Amino acid sequence: MSGPNGMLYGGDEIGALVFDPGHHSLRVGYAQEDTPKADIPAVIGVGPATHIPEPEEKVPDGNITQSGSKAGNELRHYIDVTELHVPRPHMEIQSYMKDGQVDNWDLFERMLDYCYSKVIRSPSEHHPALFTEAVWTTRPAREKLAELLFEKYQAPAFFLVKSAVLAAFANGKSTALVVDAGASQTSAVPVVDGYALVSAAARSPLGGDHLAMQAKHMLANMHIQMLPIYSIQSKEVIRERERGRYTLKTLPAGLTHSWQQYMLKRQYEDFCHCIAQISESPYDERTAASVPGVHYEFPGGYHQDFGPERFKLTECLFEQTLGAAHLVCAAAGACDADARPALWGSVVACGGLANTGGWVERLAKELAARAPSSHRLKSHAAPNAIERRFAAWIGGSILASIGSFQQMWISSQEYDEGGKGQLERKCP
Amino acid sequence: MHREVFALLYNDNKELPPLLPTDTGKAYKQTKAKLGMRKVRKWVWAPFTNPARKDNAVFHHWKRVSDESKEYPFAQFNKLVSIPSYSESEYNQYLKSEDWSQAETDHLMDLCQRFDLRFIVIHDRWDRAAFRDRSVEDLKERYYGICATLSKVKTNPWSNSVTMVNGEKRTYHYDAEHERKRKEQLRRLFDRTQEQIDEEQMLLTELKKIEARKRERERKTQDLQKLISRADSGSTPLVQATNNEGSATPANVAANIARRHDRKIHKKKLTSQQRPIRAVETVTVEWSGIKFPEARGTGVWLRSQRMKLPPGVGQRKTKAIEQELRLMNIDVAPMPTEAICKGFNELRSDLALVLDLKNALDSCEYELQALRHQYEALNPGKTLTIPSSICSTHTDNEAKPAVGEIIDVVGSPSALNATI
Repeated sequence: MSGPNGMLYGGDEIGALVFDPGHHSLRVGYAQEDTPKADIPAVIGVGPATHIPEPEEKVPDGNITQSGSKAGNELRHYIDVTELHVPRPHMEIQSYMKDGQVDNWDLFERMLDYCYSKVIRSPSEHHPALFTEAVWTTRPAREKLAELLFEKYQAPAFFLVKSAVLAAFANGKSTALVVDAGASQTSAVPVVDGYALVSAAARSPLGGDHLAMQAKHMLANMHIQMLPIYSIQSKEVIRERERGRYTLKTLPAGLTHSWQQYMLKRQYEDFCHCIAQISESPYDERTAASVPGVHYEFPGGYHQDFGPERFKLTECLFEQTLGAAHLVCAAAGACDADARPALWGSVVACGGLANTGGWVERLAKELAARAPSSHRLKSHAAPNAIERRFAAWIGGSILASIGSFQQMWISSQEYDEGGKGQLERKCP
Repeated sequence: MHREVFALLYNDNKELPPLLPTDTGKAYKQTKAKLGMRKVRKWVWAPFTNPARKDNAVFHHWKRVSDESKEYPFAQFNKLVSIPSYSESEYNQYLKSEDWSQAETDHLMDLCQRFDLRFIVIHDRWDRAAFRDRSVEDLKERYYGICATLSKVKTNPWSNSVTMVNGEKRTYHYDAEHERKRKEQLRRLFDRTQEQIDEEQMLLTELKKIEARKRERERKTQDLQKLISRADSGSTPLVQATNNEGSATPANVAANIARRHDRKIHKKKLTSQQRPIRAVETVTVEWSGIKFPEARGTGVWLRSQRMKLPPGVGQRKTKAIEQELRLMNIDVAPMPTEAICKGFNELRSDLALVLDLKNALDSCEYELQALRHQYEALNPGKTLTIPSSICSTHTDNEAKPAVGEIIDVVGSPSALNATI
């Protein structure tokens, strides 16, 4: 704080933390920073504590939080890629998220423990915590989170904001129609004056996970084998479309199905990242064929060019009745007529899937075709992939570091007096 | 290394190195960089309370030691909307409604407070489980109704619904019916299909076209009237010569000239559009040829100023007049004595009129010939003999005769043949 009135750009930093839990990853970091400190996969490996250490695993188990120290029921929780991606026998992969909200609170607690001890490395009672939530988060889930933060973590203050509102803030708007293309689903939420219109929100299950599934099907149909990368010892350089020559690693016995599936999913995601491209207009064989292909090498050494497949793969994201454009129309249509012009005037795209090549352009094009011509349509997306992906977190970072926001926190005193019932009132 | 290449390397400093040592300051002697005039002020991570909060929660932030005693600066932004409040007895006395229960009204007032009268958000967060769904207009109507009622019975004026005008309370009235109608219209506007929009667009362009045509016609008749009245009120004995059946043709032609001069629209289109000829009422317009302005503002001015053509006269017309003057061996800029000025201006005014009428005659002629050709084309073998009384081909001889005679010619073509 400085300047003539003690206000520098309206900001005031009080050491707040911003948590943005998602289906794919959890983002955590200090408010007032431009990117999260950590982006942790939103799954936790749960395995028996007495595992045989891998020869290459030399790192002391600093990232492992021990639990249930009583004999007989010992479980270890493996969090973050360095721990999670190591093949361990009997380690099951579990997710704490379900339908956009936290579902398994025990696991989520482990995750928060990890965030405070390994990412922030500072006691939780020093930092007010701002959480993002999906628009449809149920009241019990919100209250449970507040309870957890105040009672277990002794947070000095807590606040919950709808992620769509934060994404709008991150794009410099207080009124916007936010299209969030995430991992598990795509949603369109109207935001008016910084308040999300809950009843008008629309969502569909077409997200990044769906795209990864499509990639899996496509590769299966093309008879291309996606070998798990952890199983490859070495591979030889081969010519294009030639059969891969590789040697397999000796893996510990008892690798769980869930872990293997998780690792494969990461690879399909990588595949999508590299080759998925969305055509500007609905898929057309000829135009798709005219675009130069992209080369991709699979873990087994097999490699080939992908041409029209790149576009065919992503076509599922813009299905007639579930695609993002349809959601936007539905959400805008559900709003009051007075709010609609402003909403059409600022359609904001965010989320990790929005980084797929051509996604924003396709959305803009489909909206132009569908939007009522009496409205001025303007779609907006952050130019930078990081800003798109972390839009909600960045919005939270902005909000929590604004001076006039500091009166809005639910402080621990307020929580002690009013209990969790006031959450609905204080965090709209 | 070439000199040019060398120059590229060192082109950031265009100047040559100084010949004399210029470093006379004590730049190297000063040990510490001096950035500001004042001493640095210390920052501390200090606790603070925010007066905008009701709970006196203590947070920490960085602040200057000198700011220690100051109040939290952002508390001044804590502005709240004042929402009227009522007691139970007040509710029962004034605010009872058949449509609204007290619980529902309380819920509305609570939401108004929480969302600062953002009725769209209030509508969104309306407790639909407990109360029936209401439109934004219903909510607004109830809220503003309560404000109005309470401001009448209570002394405390609610800032958002009452203003004081000359010490007298004025209450805003919320016209819910009108708002509902407006919203319905808005909804219909937004729900139009593409075909409907296209159709509307098409109709609008049609309307524009029709209006343009109408304006064009009006202008035509006006031009015509002007010309007729000019000819009528002219200084020549033209009036007697004008007959009834002749009035239609010059009208037609006059319009034609005006169009050709002003807009240069395709002739074909013109002739086809001119068919319907209106009967023209004689309107007396006090105008003849060129009107030279009399009053020239205050102060001294040259008399030659009087002979200047007014800016309304076009370039082409000016040229044509000058040409005529030259043919008559008259100086284009004569000595501006009082009499010459007057005579010269009158002459030019008449010349302008003559030129207009001559043009009219030309077009008449042209049209006549065109019609004849058309007739012959349509009825092969037949020839249309135009009576010599309305046919004139001696246009090239007209340049010389006196002004009065020319005007006569147009008025009644037979007169032309007689004079020449």
